[in-house]
Amino acid sequence: MASRSDPARSGYRGYIGSRPVLGNRTPQAVQNLVIRDYCQRNGLPYLLAAAEYTMPACYMMLNEVLAELPRLEGVVCYTLFMMPEATERRHEVYRRVIEARASLHTALEGQVLRSADDVGRIEDIWLVQRALARAPKTL
Amino acid sequence: MTGGFLSNEDRMLGDAFLKDGYVIRAVEDRAALDRIQARVAELAASQLGLDPPNDPKAFLDGIHTHVAPDKLNAFRLAMIAGINGETWFRRAYYGLAEKALASLVGNELAMQRRANLSIQLPGDESSLLPAHTDTWSGDSPFEAVVWLPLVDCRATKSMFILPPAANAKAAAKLADYGTSGVEALYRDFESETRFLSVDYGQFLLFDQNLIHGNRVNAEKTTRWTFNCRFKGLFTPYADKRLGEFFEPITMRPTTRLGLAYKLPDGFEE
Repeated sequence: MASRSDPARSGYRGYIGSRPVLGNRTPQAVQNLVIRDYCQRNGLPYLLAAAEYTMPACYMMLNEVLAELPRLEGVVCYTLFMMPEATERRHEVYRRVIEARASLHTALEGQVLRSADDVGRIEDIWLVQRALARAPKTL
Repeated sequence: MTGGFLSNEDRMLGDAFLKDGYVIRAVEDRAALDRIQARVAELAASQLGLDPPNDPKAFLDGIHTHVAPDKLNAFRLAMIAGINGETWFRRAYYGLAEKALASLVGNELAMQRRANLSIQLPGDESSLLPAHTDTWSGDSPFEAVVWLPLVDCRATKSMFILPPAANAKAAAKLADYGTSGVEALYRDFESETRFLSVDYGQFLLFDQNLIHGNRVNAEKTTRWTFNCRFKGLFTPYADKRLGEFFEPITMRPTTRLGLAYKLPDGFEE
């Protein structure tokens, strides 16, 4: 993770969405509140969130945030499940965060990715959730 | 524009809006604008521990001499909370563009619950709004924005917009910029963008489906502009919902009657 003392980098950029996640819609104002609360509880300087576009499979704002990483300490997204559906694209996000020596936080789940060691744990959650979405809902 | 039912005035305004994607007009209630400007200046002075200014416009123009970029967002949020907390503010804001809104949007409206405020200090790179449309971020395509400067806004102190024809070309290619980003899109269409000159005393009413945004303010004074969205009450909502983000402001009597109406019941076969 980038050092807070690194004068070239400051703050954690919020990342919220404008399309449903796992079939649920959360108002942007609520997503912002969750991120602000997470940042406050964890002592992370919060930077105004970027809102992903509403078009399906569009990650332009996420790419903007990733391009900004050299100037940031990290990113705090509302939920892990906003990450790209395609495994390769998701791993590309992890790679860019790690190579930038930044961190990726998911406010709702309280997960943090700082190094390659964290990828497996986060992907386990992702993959199980995806499987659950296809599993029977009643016993 | 549709047929002969509209007045000449409405038709001309509508034609200009459809052609350019925006109209700039003198506010319809100058006293209300002056009240808003004076109150914002008072709030700013109070926040900074200063006396209320004698010349609100000059004070707001020069706010960069009092507020550092790293304190700007907290200062801005305090201004938004303060002015939106005034019970008269939203009615006054609506009154600035009431006739234009009736002409271009409708006479039965929903209004954004909290007007937003942009403050852009000269040379500050931290408060940029890259090229975007509001619709891409969850606004309904049926919304229009009333953009209100508290100071004279010209060139990079103002906002840019991509006119409809150029916007159609850019939007059709948006997916090509999925990796390179909206800054690359802006650069490719920069020559077709228009920076809008909107002076204090005027409002801008624009189509938020068009690509717009701002750049680093390269002028010598600070930008202060409100933005607030309006839409037809019964037009489709997107992610910015009725109740959460919008509320009805001009519901008409026949609508009230219709909403309350119940057909007589109690019949049996």
